[in-house]
Amino acid sequence: MATTDIGPKNPAVKAGEAAFDYVDKRTGVKTGAKWFMFRNIPAETSWFQTLGFTAMALFGMQAITGIILAMYYKPDPNSAYQSIEVITNEVTWGWLVRGMHKWGASAMIVVVFLHLGRVFFFGSYKYPRELTWVTGAILLIMTMFMGLTGYLLVWDQKAYWATVVAVNITASAPIVGPYVADILRAGPEFGPETLSRFYSIHMLVIPGGMATFIGLHLFLISKLGIAEPPYSKRRMAVERAEEEARRAAENERLPYGRREVPAVAPATPEPQKVEGAS
Amino acid sequence: MAESQGDETAGGTRGGQYSGPTAHVPEPVHDHHDDPAFITRTRFLTGVALVTGGVMTAAILVPVVGFAAADALKDEEWRWVDVGPLSDFPDGETSSIAVSGPAPESDRRAFLRHRDGAMIAIWNRCAHLGCPVSYSPGGDVYACPCHGGAYDSLGRVTSGPPPRPMDRFDVKIVTPDGQDVARQTSPAEGVSTAGASPEDRVLLGRPFSIDEEQNPFKLHGPGELVTGPLSNLYPF
Ligand code: HEM
Ligand code: FES
Repeated sequence: MATTDIGPKNPAVKAGEAAFDYVDKRTGVKTGAKWFMFRNIPAETSWFQTLGFTAMALFGMQAITGIILAMYYKPDPNSAYQSIEVITNEVTWGWLVRGMHKWGASAMIVVVFLHLGRVFFFGSYKYPRELTWVTGAILLIMTMFMGLTGYLLVWDQKAYWATVVAVNITASAPIVGPYVADILRAGPEFGPETLSRFYSIHMLVIPGGMATFIGLHLFLISKLGIAEPPYSKRRMAVERAEEEARRAAENERLPYGRREVPAVAPATPEPQKVEGAS
Repeated sequence: MAESQGDETAGGTRGGQYSGPTAHVPEPVHDHHDDPAFITRTRFLTGVALVTGGVMTAAILVPVVGFAAADALKDEEWRWVDVGPLSDFPDGETSSIAVSGPAPESDRRAFLRHRDGAMIAIWNRCAHLGCPVSYSPGGDVYACPCHGGAYDSLGRVTSGPPPRPMDRFDVKIVTPDGQDVARQTSPAEGVSTAGASPEDRVLLGRPFSIDEEQNPFKLHGPGELVTGPLSNLYPF
């Protein structure tokens, strides 16, 4: 390859490579990482295709800031609101971490919808990417559920009543609604149990589910590759060629200038035109 | 070897043309493992692994799900609660009193409305989606802060999204030593206070839902209908 490859290698580089090879031979990480990171993508891939990664980066930020917030937050009706005040006003950079988590939550909803919109308008959900879409839809539901469960944790009047209303909307779903709502609020009415239940769902249940589904989503993306955008030059050329072929075929079937049926019967007999039939 | 024998055999019968002597046709070997119903060791162990795994998973999940959900599905227990002497609720007034809820934030209240010798107790939970409704004595009406639900003096919807009137609590009046003085027979009439003395106690009981004609129904959650075809969506 390049001239820099000539001559003995730096021993430090050599040792590094040896260590890397040691791990790779035993785990295949290099192969896996290559499979995941160095894929061919369509020529027209643009900023639009970065929205999914943005959503994922925001999920990562939410996870990190959330874990740190959990070090100060107290999921108990008597101290929840006060512990939030302490985080905001007293803990060093508490306002910043809480702000990142709060704004990050809104940003994530926005970005997930933008990503959904781009996938929809590019038609990227079509075969063979239907299941990527389905895992994405489950991620969307979980993202919104994170928003709902996180909103209650502030435990002020707005959080409380907004969540009462949201859970009662759930309860008004036919037949199963009331049960789901009872399970969500840990009983017929909002109470202390509701807060710790929401905290557990927000902290542990859904993040676990989301991590799993992001993994599945990414696996499918790397297996299937990024979809060609509808304005792709290659794809448009293919479509134009198909269209031309279709037109040519149509032309041949025009009554004018139709070719004679060959005298020798073809291998597979074609349906013959019956005289007098309409 | 087996193949060439098979060919010869086939040659002997194909098209009925060749009828000479044929090679010896060996008896087909009967192997249990080819029998689809035969349980091989592998199949047996696969089954054992699946059943064991299933039992172990169930042994973890059933208690966990039951623990998370079962208690939450229990109905709330209601008993008679003494809210004060009748003299606290003079005729012609509507008083708002706190009824203990599970959390101080829950702000569960009852509006005790005493008019013309009868008393009813309206739960302040909005029949739309459960926000706390407030009473304005000026117009003798109720208003919800969340989505503009408005109710008349008896808790019947006058405007906004609520699908049914506000719920009621059962009310009764007893003497200070616990003898019943008056009970509520129909929600529209309420409990009569005519024969009661001012020191008699007012007790609130189990809540129930009503329709626009003030017929009683089992307590429903906010947003659920009690009459009409859509009420069948909430059978339990
Ligand atoms: C937490 C939320 C989500 C995360 C972290 C996420 C992540 C990603 C990433 C990193 C990609 C790679 C390509 C790109 O960035 O456009 C992608 C592609 C894709 N996503 Fe999502 N996604 C999320 C939600 C959704 C939702 C809500 C849907 C739709 C219902 C969806 C459907 C898809 C589909 C069909 C693709 C394949 C697009 C293609 O091949 O061009 N995703 N996602
Ligand atoms: S909760 Fe009262 S109007 Fe919606």
